[in-house]
Amino acid sequence: MTAITTAVGREAAKASRRRGGGIAPPWFFAAPALVVYALVMLYPSIAGAGSAFTDWSGVGEQRTFVGLENFKQLVRDDQALGALRNTLLLTVAIVVVQNGIGLLLALGVHTGIKSRMALRVIFFAPVVVSPVMVSFLWKYVYNPAPDAGLNAALDAIGLGALRQDWLGDPSLALWSVAFTVIWQCAGYSMVIFLAGLEGVPQELHESAMVDGAGTFARFRHITWPLLAPATTINVMLSTVGGLTLFTQIIAMTNGGPGYATDTLSTVLYKQAFVYGKFGYSTAVALVLAIFVAAVSFIQIGYLRSRETTA
Amino acid sequence: MALDQSVSRRRLLQLMGGAAAAGTLAACGGNGGSSSSGGQVKVIGAGSQEAGLRKALEEFKKANSDFDFNLSFSPADQLQTALRAQLAAGNAPDLHAVYPGNGSAMSMVQLSKANLLADLSDQAWTQKIPTGFKGAFQNDGKTFIFSPGTSVLGAIYNKKAFAAAGVEPPATWSELLTVCDKLKKKGIVPIALGAQTPWVTQLIDYALVPGTVYAKTPDFDDKMTAGNASFADSGWADAMDKYLELQKKGFFNDNPNGTTYEQATSMVGTGKAAMAVQVSAVLQAFRDAAPAPDDLGMFPFPATDVEADNWIPGGVVVGIALSAKSKKADQVRKFIEYCGRPETVNAWAEAVACVPLYSDGEAKVDPVLKPFLPYLEDDKAVPFMDQRWPNAEVQPTHFAVVQELLGGKTTVQNALKKMDEAYRKTA
Repeated sequence: MTAITTAVGREAAKASRRRGGGIAPPWFFAAPALVVYALVMLYPSIAGAGSAFTDWSGVGEQRTFVGLENFKQLVRDDQALGALRNTLLLTVAIVVVQNGIGLLLALGVHTGIKSRMALRVIFFAPVVVSPVMVSFLWKYVYNPAPDAGLNAALDAIGLGALRQDWLGDPSLALWSVAFTVIWQCAGYSMVIFLAGLEGVPQELHESAMVDGAGTFARFRHITWPLLAPATTINVMLSTVGGLTLFTQIIAMTNGGPGYATDTLSTVLYKQAFVYGKFGYSTAVALVLAIFVAAVSFIQIGYLRSRETTA
Repeated sequence: MALDQSVSRRRLLQLMGGAAAAGTLAACGGNGGSSSSGGQVKVIGAGSQEAGLRKALEEFKKANSDFDFNLSFSPADQLQTALRAQLAAGNAPDLHAVYPGNGSAMSMVQLSKANLLADLSDQAWTQKIPTGFKGAFQNDGKTFIFSPGTSVLGAIYNKKAFAAAGVEPPATWSELLTVCDKLKKKGIVPIALGAQTPWVTQLIDYALVPGTVYAKTPDFDDKMTAGNASFADSGWADAMDKYLELQKKGFFNDNPNGTTYEQATSMVGTGKAAMAVQVSAVLQAFRDAAPAPDDLGMFPFPATDVEADNWIPGGVVVGIALSAKSKKADQVRKFIEYCGRPETVNAWAEAVACVPLYSDGEAKVDPVLKPFLPYLEDDKAVPFMDQRWPNAEVQPTHFAVVQELLGGKTTVQNALKKMDEAYRKTA
């Protein structure tokens, strides 16, 4: 099986080199895009980063250079540290569960069942709905009244004892939000895994079956290793999405009850627009951006190292 | 159909030229539209002031043919975000909502300190602002906002629900507990609380604190400013204990932290709940939710068993201000001058169920507010507490700690310590 993998890999590498050949286009072809990128992304980001070292309120001209004071305040800020904890918990939950469900869905609709195309559409459908719409929909589902939403459904199937204040209970609210995000985004992970599955050569499965490999053994030794690129993309995207999660939280809980669902993104938003501390908010944003970049680089380095080709 | 088969190069250029011309014409049409809207005064108001502000603008437009406006409204929670972003970007509307006093990022003091509001002190109506309310309108002796009057805070109640339980509006804390008990036994939720909506969390504290704090210590705010008092060592602790007592006795709807303002409003309007502690400015929303407007009344929410100590919260309602960068400042100044006329003040105040700032003769007041008028006349009304808080962090901290208290995640002392920490932070 290793020999087959190596041979197919060499062919793929040759094909890749062929695609990369030819005349290199002049660099200035990229200039318009680079100018737009610099104006729309780089300049505002760098200009904004400067505010992290000031006490600017976000309105007016008054601002004083305060050095690293905002960053010192950040490490002492209980609300920000609580938000960091919530952000990490949410991210881990989303990365693990969303990708786990996405993989299972992809494996399910990659079989020969008749309704596989319809199921793919159904599972992917929540992805194309606006996160705000999904949040309001689930806010309705999570209505704490015993005769509404999820609680009414639980009651109807004889599980009334499981009724909860889904978004109002500080111990539960974070996981209720996480579930909503996973519900919406699992279809996205499914599509990426599905693309990976389409690239797994059938011949490898057939030869493994001839060698007597069972379903689980084929998944473990053929499918899973060859899904590594799809896994890299999925883990990367869900990690960045989890670390920067904002819309669903603001729409569903506004960070509450209390501070129970605050994340770094909601904290920086509140600091800027509710507390009127734009400088401090920018410091939080800067730390968040560096944190997300660091996690992404480490992740991509590790995940790429285990990728293989068919 | 491939392009090179059916369209010559010349034809293609003609088509492109036509498209460009059409685009130019379309753009001209667009410019015409925006030119017409370019003469409009851009106004963004708070949702709770819609009835009064819209009426005043429309009446002013009728009397001034050269005046036109473009009006939009935002709910309280979104106002801070949208308007602050515009203020920060330097493209604020000419006339916009501003909260009186201090204590929020969109308050008069915070915005005037940033030089974002125009000084209105030269307008005649500013001389009529009652002395006790000047702090809500003025910073450093200059007037920056117009507001039509004061809103009171108390219990909005469903008369039919009270009648069904055979109870009358209570005058003392003990009577309130008895009323709630009777309502609960009748199967009616005594008090609807939509604490998932952040600003609603503060209202019961605001209703109780005038009795537990200000009746005994009228200069409490001055003491706080001077650093000689704290939330934790004041009647605020008593107020929060009472808030929790109502919850422990089961007088709120189930799961208040998961219930929104809109749901609570509907509960009172339909009689599923008997009352909600609210500001009179939102009375219309409750009336909209009730089968008939007369089903609803208001009474001062009692905080103590000594009737004389049961003061009420009565704060200046959200006002309007002229942006310091407005290019239509002359038109806006004329409009604000018009708002300051006693008849406009009265009409606006009536539309948003508040007590007019001043009036010529007897003011027209919504009948449901009559139980509150003796308190205003006897100087037993305290401005909404946040209006004298020194920064925009205390109020959201209050929202959060109340949700934590209702969720059983903190104690009254820890909650008040957090508020004290927020209060001591610089503005």
